[in-house]
Amino acid sequence: MEELRESSIHHTALKFSEDVKQMKIYNNLYKTVQKLACSPEVCKDDMKNTLELAMKKHGLETEIRNIVFHLIRTSIKSDVKFSMQATDPLNYLRRAGVQWERRVRKSLNTMSAELKTTLQGQVRNQQEKEELQAKWAELSNFQVDLSNYRPVYAPKDLLEVLISLKGPASQKHDDDGVIPRWEFSHISLPVRNLQELRTVFSELLRNEMTVTDWSVTCERILTTRHAPLCQQILKKGLTPTQLRGKIWSIVLGSELEEHHREYWDQLKTTVLSTDSIVDKLVFKDVQLTATNDDQYFVFEDVIYQVMLCFSRDSEIADMIKTDWLNTSKLKQYETPPNNIVPFHGICMFASPFCYLFDSPIALYYTFRAFYVRYCHRLTTINTHNQGIVSLCLLFEKLLQTHEPILWSHFRELQIQPIRVVFKWLMRAFSGHLHPQELLILWDLILGYDSLEILSLLAIIILSFRKESLMQVSTIESIEAVLADLSSIKVLPLVQLALSRD
Amino acid sequence: MAYDNSKRANASSLSTMYGRITHNENSRMMKICFCSDMDKSVLLNNFDKRGWMQVTADDDWNFYWAGTQTCRNIFSVDSGYRMHDNQIINHFPNHYELSRKDLLVKNIKRYRKDLERDGSALAEKVNDGGINGPKYLYLDFIPVTFVLPADYNMFVEEYRKNTQSTWIMKPTGKSQGAGIFLINKLSKLKRWSREAKTSFHPAIGKESYVISRYIDNPLLIGGKKFDLRLYVLVTSFRPLKAYLFKLGFCRFCTVKYDTSVTELDNMYVHLTNVSVQKHGGEYNNLHGGKWSVQNLKLYLEGTRGKKVTEKLFGGINWLIVHSLKAVQPVMASDRHCFECYGYDIIIDNNLKAWLVEVNASPSLTSTTVNDRILKYKLIDNILNIVLPPDGIPDVRWNKIPSAENLGNFELLIDEELASQTQEDNILGSMTTGKQRINNRWK
Repeated sequence: MEELRESSIHHTALKFSEDVKQMKIYNNLYKTVQKLACSPEVCKDDMKNTLELAMKKHGLETEIRNIVFHLIRTSIKSDVKFSMQATDPLNYLRRAGVQWERRVRKSLNTMSAELKTTLQGQVRNQQEKEELQAKWAELSNFQVDLSNYRPVYAPKDLLEVLISLKGPASQKHDDDGVIPRWEFSHISLPVRNLQELRTVFSELLRNEMTVTDWSVTCERILTTRHAPLCQQILKKGLTPTQLRGKIWSIVLGSELEEHHREYWDQLKTTVLSTDSIVDKLVFKDVQLTATNDDQYFVFEDVIYQVMLCFSRDSEIADMIKTDWLNTSKLKQYETPPNNIVPFHGICMFASPFCYLFDSPIALYYTFRAFYVRYCHRLTTINTHNQGIVSLCLLFEKLLQTHEPILWSHFRELQIQPIRVVFKWLMRAFSGHLHPQELLILWDLILGYDSLEILSLLAIIILSFRKESLMQVSTIESIEAVLADLSSIKVLPLVQLALSRD
Repeated sequence: MAYDNSKRANASSLSTMYGRITHNENSRMMKICFCSDMDKSVLLNNFDKRGWMQVTADDDWNFYWAGTQTCRNIFSVDSGYRMHDNQIINHFPNHYELSRKDLLVKNIKRYRKDLERDGSALAEKVNDGGINGPKYLYLDFIPVTFVLPADYNMFVEEYRKNTQSTWIMKPTGKSQGAGIFLINKLSKLKRWSREAKTSFHPAIGKESYVISRYIDNPLLIGGKKFDLRLYVLVTSFRPLKAYLFKLGFCRFCTVKYDTSVTELDNMYVHLTNVSVQKHGGEYNNLHGGKWSVQNLKLYLEGTRGKKVTEKLFGGINWLIVHSLKAVQPVMASDRHCFECYGYDIIIDNNLKAWLVEVNASPSLTSTTVNDRILKYKLIDNILNIVLPPDGIPDVRWNKIPSAENLGNFELLIDEELASQTQEDNILGSMTTGKQRINNRWK
């Protein structure tokens, strides 16, 4: 038994070291080790021990540990392998995922054909290229005619699809259509209950330190540059503002390296030299959202840069590769290099990072890592335990169990509660909460490595506005009660909800 | 209206914070009569909510929201108007000592000299090796400024020390960016003064201007220039009692900042006044180019660090307090008066704050929804501070509002409270309520 485990660890280690060799940082890492091996600190008679010691001393050990940490994190797929076994009750969900993906790709392709533009990018004419280059730092002054462009889809389009999801269970006993069917309860995805969430988020309730002590502790932890420790900081929800950017980039493994800059320049060059319909959609999206947002408008030029480079980044396509996306049904449609069809509000995932990073490059890589790990699950139909379907189900179950009065109020009004919170969930509250509060919420997402906090916060907000919600009876007035979240303080609300019985 | 429920009484603020609907019980014994020169909705809605009754200036009013001219008339000897104890008004009679650009400069220069003469540590000077000679270490918060035509020769002397500088000309009596232009050559100033003299309108020739060194290294965010608009409430000058409104905002230029000479005449690049920016092609009606000071703080802490951010905001409080102290001896500190000033401040790229000017009648016109909510809160919070606990204007009240009545204001300085605390210290009997008042301005 012991032997078996040994050998399995050995195999895993071998696999990871092969993986590391494929990484961009490997070359530099290897060179540094080589240099160390030649230094007087390393003795050739006791190579193994002295080299290890030297690596520890020069911080290489932490770096390697972090690399392994990120490798393990990204290689664990809680998404069950796509099996087309007819018995799997979730197959219809996967089919719906493919269908949705196919639909948005198709509509992007149709738009592209109608407007006679290309998706993969045609060579930009010299004049436009020069103008774009000259205005790179002030893209808001780059004039594009956007009158014919519309966002490919918006939160409500995805919501309609989700609500109409029909599982095998719901087909059996079809309601007579008087009361809208409860949307997600028929989906057999496992979600946590409040008691389990309390255990998961228990760190949030243990706050015995004073703020100054805490920020000193955080700084000390930050000097170790140890990713799991930094992640631990975020769990408190008390991340010092001045350290947040650094902590996030360590936790996400997105600290700037030389190869990052090179690749950014490459992306920028591609944007300048090729023209794509996605560019127009990026401009359209920024203009519809960030430009008009009193929290983010000052950063609009940075957001243009980031989103344009994002669209050209084929590494993203590799990072989000899931088995079912490779089906032949999808291959007939072209996609932008990053494989992501932009939708209404996609730039709001990048906007909050403007409060953390001055440099667009540093901003880009941390945003990208965050998007790949979390955001994309919010815009695709998937069976992941933190995918949008699971979050909707979690929201629904929590509301039903813990706010039965609200639940029946919604039921009487024949309003599906998910309708009033869906845009919060799909955008991870970006553009809804005040930036300061949003960053705390995203601290928690990163700290607990979980999007479940989104559903929980949605419940909490409904619960705190219950009195007002109970007084109104149309979806418009419900939306009015919930429109302004600027007074919501994330941490005390979540703490209160988790601590009370 | 949604903002009608904004936190008035702090007892209910917790529930309103989460959007609950609360009911205000206004049970006042005495009907308060107000008079207003302006029919701005943020004012009238506030008076309405308090159940006040509008009267004309000839009636017996308790509260007057007046224009500066009305206020001066009331206080002028000729009017013969004598206010009684239950009347308060929103201006000090000689607010112009602070709000007129030339007088502000004059007062600050005098304040520095007085401190220097008294050997105060505040007036310490350092020689940083710059061509402009020694600088005040702590009181260097306004750009070098001269009054024209009076100080023309002094200006020329200063100009010659550094001919690379750009200077900004502002008429002393105008506001909202009117009549402002930039100068980077002495010849341009000479041409202007010739034209002004030979002008068909002799009045223009007489008008006095201030010329200040232009802050040519402003802090840029997203590549854009901005200035700060902060609201400061003064309820008394002697002793000085001043409060800073925490919901100030940054006003952004709509056009990228560019110092090249060709852009020198493009005022959209340089002036952040909303009244100027509104005419620019890219003005956005949803946010009006306004970004909250809290967001500025969040951004600076996140990208530059906590220490420098705290230093910047400390510096801003410092310059406000000392600009007020500079006019303290000349202000007519009438107990009937309070005043809300609009402070315009520019931050340079070394994160140092510069006082540009002070407005005694900051605009109460709302450009956006958020702007209206903010100004509504501003007026509401002002009223909470200037009114005694029973809500009836009374000049015999000691003007020490309770902590929960401060709302979004924070105490900048209260010399009376500070001296009380000091006395208490001496007596060794510190009352807990007063300990939080810092007296570092003393």
